[in-house]
Amino acid sequence: MSCDPTITVDGLVFGYKKGKNNLNGVNFAIDQGEVVALLGPNGSGKTTMMRCINRVVKISEGKVVIDGTDLSTLSREGISRMCTTVPADVPTDFSLTLKEFVSLGRSPYVTGWLWESDEDMLLIERTMEDFGILHYADRRLSELSSGERARALLAKGVVQEPKVMMVDEPSAHLDVKYKIQVMEMLRDLAAKGFTIIMASHDLNLVTRYCDKVMLLSKGAIIAYGAPAEVVTSEAIKEVFDIDVKVITDHGIPYIIPTPPEDADEGDVRDA
Amino acid sequence: MTEESSGTTVPEETKASLSKVRWRKKHVKQKLLIVLMTGVIGIILLFVYSLTMGIYTIEFGDAMECLWNIICNFGPDMDSMPEKIIFLLRMPRSVCVLCVGAGLAVAGCVMQALIKNPLVDPYITGVSSGAAFAVVLVSMTEISIGVVASMAVPVAAIIGAVAAFALTMTVAEIAGGKAMSYVLAGVIISTGLSAANTLIIYFNANDYVGIMKWMFGSFADLTWDNAYVIAAGTLVPILVAFLFSKRLNILLLGEDQAQYLGIDVRKTKRIMMVLIAILAAFCVAYCGVIGFIGLIIPHVCRMIFGGDHRLLIPCSAIVGALVMLIADIACKTLAAPSELPIGAIVAVIGVPFFLFLMVKEGRRYVM
Repeated sequence: MSCDPTITVDGLVFGYKKGKNNLNGVNFAIDQGEVVALLGPNGSGKTTMMRCINRVVKISEGKVVIDGTDLSTLSREGISRMCTTVPADVPTDFSLTLKEFVSLGRSPYVTGWLWESDEDMLLIERTMEDFGILHYADRRLSELSSGERARALLAKGVVQEPKVMMVDEPSAHLDVKYKIQVMEMLRDLAAKGFTIIMASHDLNLVTRYCDKVMLLSKGAIIAYGAPAEVVTSEAIKEVFDIDVKVITDHGIPYIIPTPPEDADEGDVRDA
Repeated sequence: MTEESSGTTVPEETKASLSKVRWRKKHVKQKLLIVLMTGVIGIILLFVYSLTMGIYTIEFGDAMECLWNIICNFGPDMDSMPEKIIFLLRMPRSVCVLCVGAGLAVAGCVMQALIKNPLVDPYITGVSSGAAFAVVLVSMTEISIGVVASMAVPVAAIIGAVAAFALTMTVAEIAGGKAMSYVLAGVIISTGLSAANTLIIYFNANDYVGIMKWMFGSFADLTWDNAYVIAAGTLVPILVAFLFSKRLNILLLGEDQAQYLGIDVRKTKRIMMVLIAILAAFCVAYCGVIGFIGLIIPHVCRMIFGGDHRLLIPCSAIVGALVMLIADIACKTLAAPSELPIGAIVAVIGVPFFLFLMVKEGRRYVM
């Protein structure tokens, strides 16, 4: 089974409105422990794809197979043990403590009507310790900084123990230090065997930290592969409609947007 | 504390952390237990105290003794005047007060979680105005045809409440079934029904006094037959809501997040909405519309006990019951021998307390 991909998406078609598809027959496969970034402008279908994989919306065609199981054969709870989505931020307009919040991630496994088992609580506390938020356990969510909330969200995703963890713009609200911290955490999770799909707008973080990049435009995959192969100034121009320079350092491509006037210099590569 | 004695070897370190976890978990359960115990003791004391109140004076000790005799003999000694008064007149009333107080508070607590709006109370789904409309209609026809049936008002109230609720639900579902759709549909249906009520009362002003008592809320003249119905109609939904408390916690995260955690959001919401409609309908059926409890008690409890519904629902039930009983004792005694409208008394007692909490906790508090 080790050579089979963890997640296979086959011919995925979906539209919020009839006659207009937001995803047109998407196919891809991701191996266990890989971090894959979805890149694309707003409305290209990144979040929609995550919602389709998670079955929050009903897909019109195609199938999603995780770990050999077709998700359409699973109950909602079954799906929640296979994959989950970590949102960019969480509403804080309710009075749950950090620990209560992280514990909710464990709920697909909790069999009792009310309480988590001792083993569940142990996993929850250990995960919180790993993310360095255990000492905030009894603080209310609304009292935390956005960096702490980002870690809480990841911890909640981890205690859910999904095979595939989708992360929606994990660094959107964070400053540079926390952005890098979150990306390091995602890499650690991938090393532990989680397969991670991440939507992002931060091109340079993505090329630095992800194994593969998927360029999306208008609901279709434009390119999919290692950052160095996929991220070229032509591809970026096609997807985002901006002119960029791509500079390669230690095999990692970095993207520098160029103002329109010196765009004609084209693709300058230093290596 | 028993360790698993199965064949698998558990590392010492894990064992130690497990026992720590167990200790912390016990701590949470102990908190719940302490709150429940204190609450129940408070309720029993206030309950006995409420039995002493009325025109016929009974001392606290005597009331306790009478209650004990009634429980031991499965009924009152018909030769003893105080026992008869306590059993036939005062006990059913106090039982109803407790159940309705707990019911309204829990209904409010669940509604606020479902709709994620702090200004929501159990009546927002049109329950109160539907019930009021049906009661007004029945009172008018009753007077005109001269038939007085004791069951007419409660039955009408329940039918009106459930019908208005069904209408609200239908409109909300058609409009997309979002949290806001329920609020808007409820407000629209309520406004329409209240307007209809006002018009009916305007054209029949002479008969208005008869239904005033119901519209202001009152626990007078309740019998054991009523108490059984109210107790069953409130306690069962409260228990069900408590069993759903884990799911309510998840629903707080929003619809998408709840689905990622394996919850069928629409189904859960529908079940809870129907449950709340039944709960609220039984609360208004005999005693009329009593505001404030359903809106404020859940906020008070969230400020004191936090937002975890496993703790919040039992606490709301207990605090709601206590506040309602205090208000009932006050409205029986303050202007004896006449009775004050309990809805107003609840607010008079509740407002200062809530203001105090808001000033103290308001900055930190989010729903």
